[in-house]
Order: sequence, then C-alpha cells, then structure tokens
Amino acid sequence: MSLISLQGVSKVYRVGDQEIRALDGIDLRIEEGEFVSIIGPSGSGKSTLMHLLGCLDTPTAGSMEICGREMARAGVGELARMRNREIGFVFQSFNLLPRLDVLANIELPLIYSGIPASERRERARRVAGDVGLAERLANRPSQLSGGQCQRVAIARALVNNPRIVFGDEPTGNLDSATGAMVLEMFEQLNAAGKTVVLVTHDPAIAARTRRVVEIHDGRIRRDAKA
Amino acid sequence: MNLFVAIHTGLREIGSHKFRSALSMLGIILGVSSLIATMALTRGMEEGTRTFMQQLGGLELVRVTPKEPSADMFDFAVLSPGCTLRDAEAILANAPLISHVSPELTLRTTVSREDGGGPERWTVTGVMPGYFVIGMHSLAAGRFLTDLDSSHGSRCVVLGHTVASELWPGVSPEDIAGRHVLVDGAPFEVVGVLDLYEREEDKRARQAGRKVSTRRWDPFRSKNQAVLIPFSTMFHEFLSGKFPEDSMHTMKLDALTVRVGDLSRFPAALEQVRAVLNQTHRGVDDFELDTREDWFDRVESNMRAARLSGGLISAISLVVGAIGIMNIMLASISERIREIGIRLAVGARPGDIFLQILVESVLVSAIGGVLGIGASLGLVEVLKSISPSENVPVITAGGVVFSVIFALVAGLLSGIYPGLKASRLNPINALRYE
Repeated sequence: MSLISLQGVSKVYRVGDQEIRALDGIDLRIEEGEFVSIIGPSGSGKSTLMHLLGCLDTPTAGSMEICGREMARAGVGELARMRNREIGFVFQSFNLLPRLDVLANIELPLIYSGIPASERRERARRVAGDVGLAERLANRPSQLSGGQCQRVAIARALVNNPRIVFGDEPTGNLDSATGAMVLEMFEQLNAAGKTVVLVTHDPAIAARTRRVVEIHDGRIRRDAKA
Repeated sequence: MNLFVAIHTGLREIGSHKFRSALSMLGIILGVSSLIATMALTRGMEEGTRTFMQQLGGLELVRVTPKEPSADMFDFAVLSPGCTLRDAEAILANAPLISHVSPELTLRTTVSREDGGGPERWTVTGVMPGYFVIGMHSLAAGRFLTDLDSSHGSRCVVLGHTVASELWPGVSPEDIAGRHVLVDGAPFEVVGVLDLYEREEDKRARQAGRKVSTRRWDPFRSKNQAVLIPFSTMFHEFLSGKFPEDSMHTMKLDALTVRVGDLSRFPAALEQVRAVLNQTHRGVDDFELDTREDWFDRVESNMRAARLSGGLISAISLVVGAIGIMNIMLASISERIREIGIRLAVGARPGDIFLQILVESVLVSAIGGVLGIGASLGLVEVLKSISPSENVPVITAGGVVFSVIFALVAGLLSGIYPGLKASRLNPINALRYE
C-alpha cells in the first residue's frame, strides 16, 4: 500500500471562458520513506501538484489516496485534519507569523490539534532543540536570519510528527551555504524515516534526492529513481 | 482551537493594534454609556413621579368634588345639600367596598405656643380618624385623633413635623406631645406629632450630615405642615359662629376623600359611592368622582414613551458602534490574509478561523462595554448636576446588565460577516497573497 497514490489526476482552472489544464492525467505512487523531488520549469504544474499532494486543494478529476484515505473528494475539514496531522510544509518564504515568537510559531499546528498548552510547549521546545534553536525561543522571526527562519519552519512542520514533509523551494530564499545546511536537514529527516517531497526548479538539488519526478505541461515526463 | 486559545490570540491581536482597537471600541463605549445614562434618566423620572404619586395617595383614593349639575337637573339643584358630612357618614355606612372616608374642613389661622410665642399662620384642618390612613400618615410620637375626640369635640391637635419644630425648635416629638398650643387663641393639647416626611435622597443627605437643599421642590411640604384637629371641634369652635345657619351636617365640606378597600373591585366601589351620593344629593348630579386612574395611566404611558425613545436612540448608537467594529474587522482581515493562509496550511479548519475572528470582535465589544460602564458613571454625574432635582438619574443594575449584553450581542453580530469571509479564504490564494 503506497503512502501516496495518484491515478488519472487532473486539475483544471477556469479563467473567464478559458480552461487551463494545470495537471493532466497524473499517475504517481510514493512509498513510505522515499526522498522525492518534483522538478519542472515554472508553469509546468509542479506547484499545483504539490498543493494537491499537500491537501491544500482537491483535483478536478481522478483519485488521490494519501495515508490510506481518499482525498480527491474530501471536505475542507478533512483536508485541514490531514494537513494538521500527517503533513508538514516548509515554504520558500518561510511563512512564519511575524507577531509570534519562535516557540509560539512552532506550537501553531498543535493548537489546531487541540493539544493542551503544557504539552504544546513541551513538544515545541523539544523540536526546537532538534533543529538547534533552543536559544532563540523568545525571538520574533524578524530578529532571526533566513537560515534560522527556515529552521523554525522545519520545526513547525515536524512538531506534530507527520508522515510526509513537503518542501516548496525550501532553499530558494537562502544563500548557498545555508541552503546546503537546510538540504542536509531534509536528508537527515529522510534518513530518520520520514517521507520527504521537495519541489524545486534546481537540478542540483534534485540530484541529491533518490527519485526525480519531472513535470512538463501538466504531465509526468520522466520518473527516475537513482 | 479551543475558546481559551481564541481569547488569548484575540487579546494579543487587540493589544498589538491599540489605536485601531480603541477607535473601534469608541462606538461601543459611547453606545453603552449613553444607554446606561438614558436608562438612569428615565429611572430617575420614574422615581420622581412615583414619589409624587405616593404623596397624592395612590390609586385607591377617590376625591368627591362638586360640579355644575347637568342642564336637565339645573332646576332641582337647590334641592341638593351638596357635599356634607352626611355624605361621608352615608358612604361609610352603606358602601362596604369603601374602607375609609375623610371629610375635611379647613381654616387658615394662627397657631402659637401656650405662652403666645412662635405665632404663625397655618392651615388648620378638621378631620375624621380615617384621614390618618387616607393621608398615609405615620406618627413620631403620641397618638392620632380618635372617634372619641370627634364625638366629644375635644380640644386636641396633631401637629405636622415642620409646625412642631417651628413652635419648639430642637425639642423632640416625644417631649412636644402633651404640651399645649393656642389655635386662634383657643388652648389645644398636642396629642401627637407626625413623622418627618422626606424623600429617600434627602433622608440620606440628612443622615450623612449634609445640608438638605432647600431650593428643591418638596412633595411632602403640605403633609409636614399639617395642623389637624377633630372635625366636630373645627365646626363647633371656629365655624358655627361664622355660618350660623349651618349645622355640622349641612356645612359644605372643603374636601371629601374616600379610599377603596380593594383595588380589584374599583369600578364596583365607585358604583356604590355613586349610588349613596345619589340618595343624599336627592338625585341631583352635582358631584363628580375624581379618580387618578386616567392620570396615572397617562403618566405611565409618557414614561414608557420616554424610555422607549431614549433607549432607541442609544441602541442606534450601539448599532453604529457595531458597524464600526465590523468595518475594522474587515480591514484587519484583508491585512491578515497571509496569516490566515499560514494558519490554514498548518491545519486550521475554517471553523477555527471563524471562531478566532468572532471572539476578537466580541472581545472588542466586551472591553468597550466595560469602559462604557465607567464612562456612564461620569456621564450620569454630569446629568445629575443639570437635571431637575426631583428626577435625579439613578443607575440601575438592570440597565448596566442590559447595555452590556446589548453590546456583546452587537459585537457577536458584527463579527459574523468578517468571520465568514475570513473562513472562506482559499489556503493557496491566501498563502500567495502579498
């Protein structure tokens, strides 16, 4: 049983009377523990694919099973639950809440899991320690460097112990040294057993993953396992 | 997301935009304080009127007043003796629904101490014992006039508090009872002194040692200035000489008041009085029964109208305040689209977002409501100094609770639309929003 299983998935946007076929009949299986990158030029549909895999959106057609649940026709509540419990997101632009300190940012997913405050704090502290932020818990994101911000985002993605971690151009806003460090963190996560999916346009990053899925014009052009 | 977290988040949000929050609270503050003040004002008016009504004796009292007989009775008018003591006795004997009857004869004359000191002109009233109940009197010392005093025509007098203290300043009512006064030169024994009648507010002021304002209109003035002697004594001592052709029973009364025993049988009681008076007046309709029902009703409906219109205006200002909150919540949402997107991405359900916005809006109105209570205290103080003294505004717990609940409901309603709008955001678009 695959962790992620897509069959004939299409996503069609309607802009005025024009139809834009962002994804067109995608078949894709990702097993537990894989380290996958999705690459393609901008407009290829790779972001749309990641939004679907990340349960931020639902496909227009096809079936999409994630963690054993059919999500293609799921309601907003079920999608939110999946994002909360089984999926962690790391974005290019970090997407931290500027008015919350580091600890509160990391805690955020746990608030929506209904976990009591003391346990939230405890778990957030532990994950912050894992990513090397134990000293910066009371800082605001604006007081942190880009690499630190991305580590906060990774901690937030991990705090609810999800099965899948998505990275949407996670090194795009970082210099190459910190980018390499962040990439290393993803490798360590994968080594520890997490399924990691990175979306990137950078072939160098894709080369470090063990499977590269290339998207072009909404279709899978190449699916190569290293 | 539970309520506690939502409240915590909401408070932080309000705290991080102090000026904006204060602006949106302002409408609620003004609305709540003016609503409380309006309610305090109408309550003050009600209390003023109630005191006035009390002083008049309440609904149970019916005054028998003379009037011109109708045209077809005009020729027989001379047959009627008019309102006399006989009417009073007949009503008491034959109208069982009437509990008390009080005929009155009055005379304005000099009252002084036995030694002739402290002379002043007062209105002396000859009354029957029923006057005590009808006038709603109470005694500070001694006793009231009795049937025996009336039948004997004894020379005893009951003094109102003001009269007693002007005759013997600083002497307690207990010591005044038993002393003697001269009424129009004739010696009378003071058998009783009436209580000092005053309004609650004056009483409080006096007990607190403050000076009671004298510029105020005092509804109890005439009661405190009473000089009461037995009806028969009044007639025999002072009036029979002036009106030699009259007997005590044919003398025209200055006032005749009856009290209905049971208000629920008010119309039947009026019928009985009318029937008795038709007999004693020999069928001539030269009297009228003057009830206060109509007058009280009118006062009541005026009060309701004042309460309603004042409440309405303040409620409108609260609604305006609520619209202000909604406006600012909408502005704050479009400023926080990205934040909402992030929250959705980490697993917030649309309901969580809705709750957060709703709680924030209720918090704004709740804080505004509490500040509004504070503002209303100041506002009422200002109103106190400019409103007529008998209608001093009174803040009531009911008014405060009502206003705050109204404000909370306004906050709740004004949060619904922005909350719905926020919760319907698409997470992808919200995340991309710059």
